[in-house]
Amino acid sequence: MPFEMNFGWTTPIGEVVLGATKADGGTRRISYRIGGGTTLPFLESSPSSPAPLIAFEICDNPDFWSPIVKDYCGDVVNNANEWAKKADADYGADLVRLHLTSTKQRNFSDIASLGSVVEGVLSATSLPVIIEGSNEPKIDSEVYQKCGEAGQGERLLLGTAEAGKYRSIAAAALAYNHSIIAQSPIDINLAKQLNILLKEIGVQRDHIVIDPYTGALGYGFEYSYSAMERIRFSALKGDTDLAMPMICSSADTLTIKEVREAGDGLQDETAIQWELFTCLAAATAGAEILCVRHPGTIVPLRKALAGMKQPAQSAGVP
Amino acid sequence: MTDVESAKKHGEESLKTRIASIQKPFSYEETAYHLPISYALTGVAVHDRAAAEDVFKKTAGNPIVASECLLAEQTAVKGKEPAPYTGFISDTVIRKLGYSLVDGSILGLALIVGTPKGEGSAAAICRELQEKYMLTFLAGTVVPSLSAAGVKVGLDYRLIPLGSSPFYGIHFVDIVARVAMMFGGVTPGDMHRLLTYAAERAKAIVIVFPGLTDEEIALVDGMRVLGFPILSLGGYENATWVPATPGDVVRQGMELRGIRVNVTAIPIPMSCSPAFEGKSIRKEEMYVEFGGGRSTAFELLRMREPSGIEDGKVTVIGTEIDSMKEGSANPLGIIIEVAGKTMKKDYEPVLERRIHNFVNYGEGSWHVAQRDLIWVRISKEAVAKGVKIEHIGKLLASKFRMDFPQLLDAVSVTLITDPAKVAEAKKEAERVYDERDARIKGMRDSDVNTYYSCTLCQTFAPNHVCVITPERLALCGAISWLDGKIAYEMSPSGANQPIEKGAVINELTGEFEGVNRFVKKASHGEIERCSLYSVMEYPMTCCGCFEAIALMLPEVNGIMVVNREYKGMTPSGMTFSTLAGTIGGGAQTPGFAGISKNYILSDRFLQGEGGIERLVWMPAALKEELKERLEKKLEERGLTGFLDKVADETTAETIEALIEFLERGGHPALTMKPLV
Amino acid sequence: MALKALDIYKLLPKKNCKECGDPTCLTFAMKLAGGKADLDLCPYLSDEAKSVLGATTRPPIRLVKIGVGTKNFKVGEETVLYRHEKTFYHPPGLVFRVTDTMPAEEIVAITRRVRDEVLTRVGADLRFNGIAIENVSGSAETFARAVETVEKVEAHLPPVLISKDTAALKAALVHCGTYRPLLHAATQDNVQEMCALARQHGCPLVVRSGSLDDLVNLVKTCTADGVTDLVLDLAPENFGEFIRRSTAVRQLAITRAVPDLGYPVYLNAAETGQEDAAVALGIVKYGSVIVTDPLPSGSAKAALTLRQNIYTDPQKPIQMNPGIYRVGSPDKDSPVLMTVNFSLTFFTLQGYLESARVPCFMLIVDTEGLSVLTAVAAGKLSEMLVRDSIKTFGLENEVSHRKLIIPGYASPLSGRIEDATGWKVLVGPRDAAEIGEYLHQEWKK
Ligand code: SF4
Ligand code: SF4
Repeated sequence: MPFEMNFGWTTPIGEVVLGATKADGGTRRISYRIGGGTTLPFLESSPSSPAPLIAFEICDNPDFWSPIVKDYCGDVVNNANEWAKKADADYGADLVRLHLTSTKQRNFSDIASLGSVVEGVLSATSLPVIIEGSNEPKIDSEVYQKCGEAGQGERLLLGTAEAGKYRSIAAAALAYNHSIIAQSPIDINLAKQLNILLKEIGVQRDHIVIDPYTGALGYGFEYSYSAMERIRFSALKGDTDLAMPMICSSADTLTIKEVREAGDGLQDETAIQWELFTCLAAATAGAEILCVRHPGTIVPLRKALAGMKQPAQSAGVP
Repeated sequence: MTDVESAKKHGEESLKTRIASIQKPFSYEETAYHLPISYALTGVAVHDRAAAEDVFKKTAGNPIVASECLLAEQTAVKGKEPAPYTGFISDTVIRKLGYSLVDGSILGLALIVGTPKGEGSAAAICRELQEKYMLTFLAGTVVPSLSAAGVKVGLDYRLIPLGSSPFYGIHFVDIVARVAMMFGGVTPGDMHRLLTYAAERAKAIVIVFPGLTDEEIALVDGMRVLGFPILSLGGYENATWVPATPGDVVRQGMELRGIRVNVTAIPIPMSCSPAFEGKSIRKEEMYVEFGGGRSTAFELLRMREPSGIEDGKVTVIGTEIDSMKEGSANPLGIIIEVAGKTMKKDYEPVLERRIHNFVNYGEGSWHVAQRDLIWVRISKEAVAKGVKIEHIGKLLASKFRMDFPQLLDAVSVTLITDPAKVAEAKKEAERVYDERDARIKGMRDSDVNTYYSCTLCQTFAPNHVCVITPERLALCGAISWLDGKIAYEMSPSGANQPIEKGAVINELTGEFEGVNRFVKKASHGEIERCSLYSVMEYPMTCCGCFEAIALMLPEVNGIMVVNREYKGMTPSGMTFSTLAGTIGGGAQTPGFAGISKNYILSDRFLQGEGGIERLVWMPAALKEELKERLEKKLEERGLTGFLDKVADETTAETIEALIEFLERGGHPALTMKPLV
Repeated sequence: MALKALDIYKLLPKKNCKECGDPTCLTFAMKLAGGKADLDLCPYLSDEAKSVLGATTRPPIRLVKIGVGTKNFKVGEETVLYRHEKTFYHPPGLVFRVTDTMPAEEIVAITRRVRDEVLTRVGADLRFNGIAIENVSGSAETFARAVETVEKVEAHLPPVLISKDTAALKAALVHCGTYRPLLHAATQDNVQEMCALARQHGCPLVVRSGSLDDLVNLVKTCTADGVTDLVLDLAPENFGEFIRRSTAVRQLAITRAVPDLGYPVYLNAAETGQEDAAVALGIVKYGSVIVTDPLPSGSAKAALTLRQNIYTDPQKPIQMNPGIYRVGSPDKDSPVLMTVNFSLTFFTLQGYLESARVPCFMLIVDTEGLSVLTAVAAGKLSEMLVRDSIKTFGLENEVSHRKLIIPGYASPLSGRIEDATGWKVLVGPRDAAEIGEYLHQEWKK
């Protein structure tokens, strides 16, 4: 007797394209189409998408970056281009996520420099790229304009739109055909609300990736986990305002006590394991882009994901 | 006076003949959109006469299309005009412009054409447009007239001189067309989408000075199809252009197009932030006070016609603070007048309650209570910094605009300190209060077709949906029907959504088709049916925030209520917290319902079970709290003395004692239709 | 579909005799509806009621107890597919594996580690739960000796005995037969003998197959044989299969579509080739007994923490104990920040304070786990509470100044707190992320 799991799903998750290859007017060597899921993560027998993807996070000013990562990566952290190259060639990421942390300096105003930072990273790696702009209302407008323009044609993923700050990012996405990350603080309703706001301003559904915000493992991760499950559930049940792929960043996990104070010789291992556990759990809840900061997380994470993505055997399970 | 209709006819004819005489091929560089208007409308890339005629025909002889082709040819023949004129603007620049529009750093677009009389008038208009974050395009003699008045033009000044004749105004339209294609998802050739986009989203206005030729009139008038208001500053006779004066044309145009300037700063000499909300001003710190039983004071917020209000205007009638004695109590009337397209009279009281918060946001101002019970203080420190009565008005005017941008277009504030005038205005205010009370009191569920939902609590109770009606306050007691309505108006994608109640399924239990449909969707398919006035059948879900719980007691065929504050045991054998733990979390539990305390006073309370006569037990303190109002209600319904038949913990703590008590008192529930 | 309390009530005797331990039949019905009472507690049920209620109030997934004494653990009795629907009740037992070919010292060391290792987080002691002994030597005698070695440590940990060979299990049970060890595993080939063993020693039994059909058949055989404390090993070939099968089992069980799958799930991470990942997936995807080789420190902590996260009640905020907490080594002049005892608020603020590197005190007041915003709205956070907390926890002795920083959302209370406490109140930012900057700017001056 075959057992049917009947969930009564009605709506597939929308698809989003990351990166543009030459054929699409960009210069990326590959582009990804994520989303498209029709049931809970990893239940599909032949998933249409390559996700979950692994994004490696870098920045253009490592002053406030995790010391564990800085120690592990070495000097390369001071050169975003080299770091991006390494993420691509050595660490083996699927995506590079660049945080423009230089904008965090007080009274930062050298907007023009950001254009060349973005361009530099885009030429250092031919992977699709995620750009995280500023978080300062005074400069947001100019920063996102610059980012959008510098990445024109490349189908970037731009971050991060929030309820109080989404106009500039949306404008950059619309003007230069990029997609955006829409972040809400661990709340399904707020996630939906933000997506509606974005829709109203003209951003199409297939240009939005939801970030339900990932709390650190042990420090609120369970809320994020459930928020992701609920978003995926509502989306599959027909709520098109939530039917977009999700992104999870385990960045907060590196700042918690257990990792910072893991003790000599254990820091890397601990950081890797905490990132790995966070990302795997998030993937089962529906995250399709998993962001890590420790290079050592990528290999075990990829291995585990490969096992999870195995096509279904004939074991009487649909 | 030029008659627009006949000029237009002439103009259109002459455009038609001229289009047939196009000789040379033409094209603009730096664009992927060919001739953008023609391309957007028809999907045809026009570069020569044949294509031009084709498109002209396809658009039923549209003068804009004709002008676009003719100007393109002219530019190809004669070349671009010299600086400062920009002529056709490249895609790259448009992308940036479009960015600023979406981003909100530009609020809208304006085109000015024609010949201004005297240098100053155009300059003043442009300055106002600049101040209001509009991006202005100029075509024709208006450009030299501005230079003559010393106004600098160029992209940096948000004043863009397109060309030396009004004909260049066509570029204004090609910009809108490209923005629609780049940002609005309009595909070339989708004429309908383009027109809808232009009419609904393009925030563009056209200001016309006298002196246009017939062809130019045809061109400008053609822009009406795109929904741009044409504001005429005289010299034209016609019914569809909007007559305006130079002093008012910008405000009028922006209002017609719904372009709003967001208020971001409050120009007063005192800080203003929610952080100061809880700061009180003690007697020693106070400079003056108003109301609080020491003098007459009141506040009133009213809706007005937009034409009746000058936005941001603050009037003080009577003495200012400098002529008030330190430590004195003075009379005060706060009258706020508001206007807005979506504003409704019903919202007045809800907005009026915000006066309290806003005044408290001021670092040196303090406010308590409402209506004619208010008590306001201003601190010595604030007065020393230069704060005046007028500034309280400015604060209020700005905060209302800032916090209710969707709702309010204009706010003006009048502050009265003159004793006689305060007394007089207060009479009027009292009349308004009474009127409001009467209306709210009389509001019934059957009077409206729309209820409101609240799903705020889904954060922790995933499938919970509150349905809020005029006669049934939300179970948390915090959100009334009116609150829900206004919250929806202000934030249409928020947690409060309208519910069309739809056809009646069961009048008594309050079950409606529309409500069921909504609840099913909002509960992610978990809850199929929801009756608004019944505890027994399909009651509303319970999130956990309820002020009280109503539950059936089958042994006595009645319903008891227990409120959150009551910690003791109830005849059900469960305490409030045990009950709350069992029924909360967003589940529907027949026989149990979360309610607000005030709902007990509603005529709809327990309607499905036969009315308040079912009520058999509630804690003594709750009884006391509701007593006065409840007894009045009961009296109206011919149930005087009923409250004494309802048990509480002093008369019955267990189900056995309750049965006895009810039997002794002859409680009506005992003989009512069986609940189970 | 579970029955509602009212439907259950209708089937009860309505005597209110209190013999079930509840004051009224309705209360009992409510408990039954929530799966929190046993039907047998009411002695007056009619046969009809028993049969109707029996099927629907019995937990859809059987509760299985492994081990005895204080360290036993129970798994199963779950009712939902997503934790947000209600909660996950019984955290999976994380069991370290030893093999009978290991030197005795190693076995002892691992057993001791499971006994002693504890991670204390949010006021809870997190531990590993048991020891699995696997028979890889092929010898019954060696296996029995390994089990004996474990038992001699007297750690009293719930044991899991893994062997294909019933003779080996029999030998091992001599040493731990009375401790309710979990036996692994009954398959098509040995189900009869396994059942006999399980019955004889009264221990729970794992049934193993990669096919759900076969599992159902095995379950039927076992239950017919009187062995009802069962655990399912889905024998997944890879992680994807584990997720699919485990989800299927959970879904089919809780909907009562296939009652024979209503048992907890077993996962042997050690056989997947990537233990850390397997443990993570086992925790989130319905694993109930997870066997793994001893985890290194990083993944051990991550596993315990993830399990704690996933198995907290999502409808009940975790609460911190109210009191004074220190960040860095504050002195008499250090700032004091007041906030609520909702754990997420606490940890978020604590994290930002730590990275701000300003030593300070946190005054945590008891709002019953409500966040600042809701505590203010619900009146749970009041000036009285703040005043009493300052007194109770002796804040006056900790600092020489009298300044209190309160959360931005508590600003409506600032004046009243000042009046009630006599402390000067500074209103901090609404967003904890801004606290670092706030302290640097506001506190220094
Ligand atoms: S209880 Fe109150 S806040 Fe919660 S959903 Fe209902 S109305 Fe909204
Ligand atoms: S034992 Fe049975 S009859 Fe007696 S109170 Fe309990 S449920 Fe009712």
